[in-house]
Amino acid sequence: MEYNGGSVVAMIGKDCVAIASDLRLGQQSVGVAMNFEKVFPVNDKLYYGLPGLATDVYTLREQLRFRVNMYRMKEEREITPKTFTHLLSSTLYEKRFGPYFLEPVVAGLTTPTELEPKPKPFISTMDTIGCITTPKDFAVAGTAQDKLYGMAEGLWEPDLEPEDLFETISQTLLNAVDRDALSGWGAIVHVITHDKVITRQLRSRMD
Amino acid sequence: MALFDQRPAYAHEPTVAPIEHRFSPYSDNGGTILAIAGADFAVIAGDTRQSEGYSIQTRYARKVWQLTDNATLATNGFAADGKNFVKRVKQRLEWYEHAHHKPMGLKAIARMIQTMLYGRRFFPYYVYNILGGIEEDGTGAVYSFDPVGSYEREACRAAGAAQSLVQPFLDNQIYFKNQTPAPGAEAFVPGRLPMATVLGLVVDSFTSATERHIEVGDGLEMYVVMKEGRQTTDLTDEGQLPAGMKVEELGSMGEGRGEKTFLVSMPLKRD
Amino acid sequence: MAAPGGGGAYSFSLTTFSPSGKLVQIEHALAAVAGGTTSLGIKATNGIVLATEKKASSLLLDTSVLEKVAPICPNIGFVYSGMGPDFRILVAKARKIAQAYWKVYGEYPPTKVLVQEVAGVMQKATQSGGVRPYGISLLIAGWDSHRGQSLYQVDPSGSYWAWKASAIGKNMVNGKTFLEKRYNDDLSLEDAIHTALLTLKEGFEGEMTENTIEIGIVTVPTAEQLQEKPGERLPPTFRKLTESEVKDYLSL
Repeated sequence: MEYNGGSVVAMIGKDCVAIASDLRLGQQSVGVAMNFEKVFPVNDKLYYGLPGLATDVYTLREQLRFRVNMYRMKEEREITPKTFTHLLSSTLYEKRFGPYFLEPVVAGLTTPTELEPKPKPFISTMDTIGCITTPKDFAVAGTAQDKLYGMAEGLWEPDLEPEDLFETISQTLLNAVDRDALSGWGAIVHVITHDKVITRQLRSRMD
Repeated sequence: MALFDQRPAYAHEPTVAPIEHRFSPYSDNGGTILAIAGADFAVIAGDTRQSEGYSIQTRYARKVWQLTDNATLATNGFAADGKNFVKRVKQRLEWYEHAHHKPMGLKAIARMIQTMLYGRRFFPYYVYNILGGIEEDGTGAVYSFDPVGSYEREACRAAGAAQSLVQPFLDNQIYFKNQTPAPGAEAFVPGRLPMATVLGLVVDSFTSATERHIEVGDGLEMYVVMKEGRQTTDLTDEGQLPAGMKVEELGSMGEGRGEKTFLVSMPLKRD
Repeated sequence: MAAPGGGGAYSFSLTTFSPSGKLVQIEHALAAVAGGTTSLGIKATNGIVLATEKKASSLLLDTSVLEKVAPICPNIGFVYSGMGPDFRILVAKARKIAQAYWKVYGEYPPTKVLVQEVAGVMQKATQSGGVRPYGISLLIAGWDSHRGQSLYQVDPSGSYWAWKASAIGKNMVNGKTFLEKRYNDDLSLEDAIHTALLTLKEGFEGEMTENTIEIGIVTVPTAEQLQEKPGERLPPTFRKLTESEVKDYLSL
């Protein structure tokens, strides 16, 4: 986890979720790139973040792209955040004895249906071999994990509107990565609502 | 008895080998401390849990110590070293008062602590110290130290088990890091927050750390050192303190200028 | 090459087309289905009914152990016409498929996905060496959040169709004609169960009792039933009717 560095955080708001990552890619203490996004879309209501070993980020991202596309074609529907979490978890567990060095974070909204008119905003996180937790507030992972916990625990409150959620997740991420030598070098935030995704790049300390 | 005459085949000759024992002079007793300076006050706080590994030794162990009317010291790390270090600091302060007929100033205490710590450069006190109080010019001050005496005056500092959780939060809320004032609004200046705000942040820091860190919890002690002239009611008035606090005014420790020290305490989660 | 038997050179090789473009072994499998006991399924507005007759070849048989309607997972059930042993193999495979899906996605498969997987298994038996096709047709009824209740038929060739109502087995032609007359688009599940019993009754040999027929139903869950409660499982949407429930429907 410490080889390339990097951190991801996700938070639940009122009918919205947010997920954010830093942009640093390093080789131990040497910075290599400042445009390495760790959060990827599955569809316009579901994003996931993969902090950890960069080479595994690419491998797992392609693996998931394959599996989600197969799901889409076979089932003729979009995958829900909950189902995607299970898919990701079982993909990780396949490598139980030679795991991907990643601690994924998932954030998404479920489209309301007649039978489930008010689905709750969804976030989840798991360890390197796919053990799932589904928090009701926020999920953090990466080299700044402990700092993110401290920030999020202090700043997060329930039922934040999209703009306030954006501010909360941005401050949480920025102040946490500023105290982490292996994370930082810019940040990117996605706020997912039912009618749009707001993506913003953040300016931050570059040291 | 023939039965005992012969050793059975499965019993080997006894062998004697020395077992290596090594004494470790240090241990880590967890917990977290924190201090924040205001314009004319300082808050020095610590939780009261003391643990070793996954075992809780006690739910009430003091980590914050009133030294003089205007100085309070928080220690964190190896509890035995902490206690002993405070004992010797207090002894030196007493000697100073006998020699000079006045209590030592905050800045001088800070320098003395660095000398005492560096004096043990090759067998250090395994203790992180944070000193808070009122400077001779009447300003609130916080000094933080590493175990061998490297020190610095700051507006705030967290140390101990949950330092990594609390310090970024203080950067944000006390130093206003990553925040920009609204256009036309006053610039942010660290160390000027009102006492009620500061106490609120201390409580939030510790409840957050308690939530996520196993070595933090049980109780919270906040020592508030106020400049002379500030009233007790500044603390006890409605809205100054979060609910559920116990406030106790600590007596004067000698010839001060009239600074007051209060102990504000509250329970933290015990799980 | 002259092969023995009346079917000519193509009747024994499973994977060889006859000049007219037929795989005769599949035709034979369909003949086995057509000789089997009748089964039928009807889709209603709020559910599905599967029904079959369960006839014992001897009165000494203990029919309570016979099972022709089989739950595959909490939301899907099978019924068949044709060869019993082949059905049981397919049920075991389908249950495995459903559990494998659950392991990956944390939920049971939608009806269509399971149908496609099972049809794939049946197709493979028409193209592989050393095997024969399954001697059964299946009616598969299920409910899922994506498509609601759906009813499928799968044949030995691996072909499958979605039906509003269908019948397979010995009385398939008469049954379908009967269903065509009786079916309408706003049938309730209770109506459908009665229609199913009436259809079975056409051409039923012997007495129709709770011991000689089997019924499985799909019910559409309410939003309340779909609320996940900690430590509890969602109620199944497919279940078999008990003998006393069947008896009640017969007496109405």
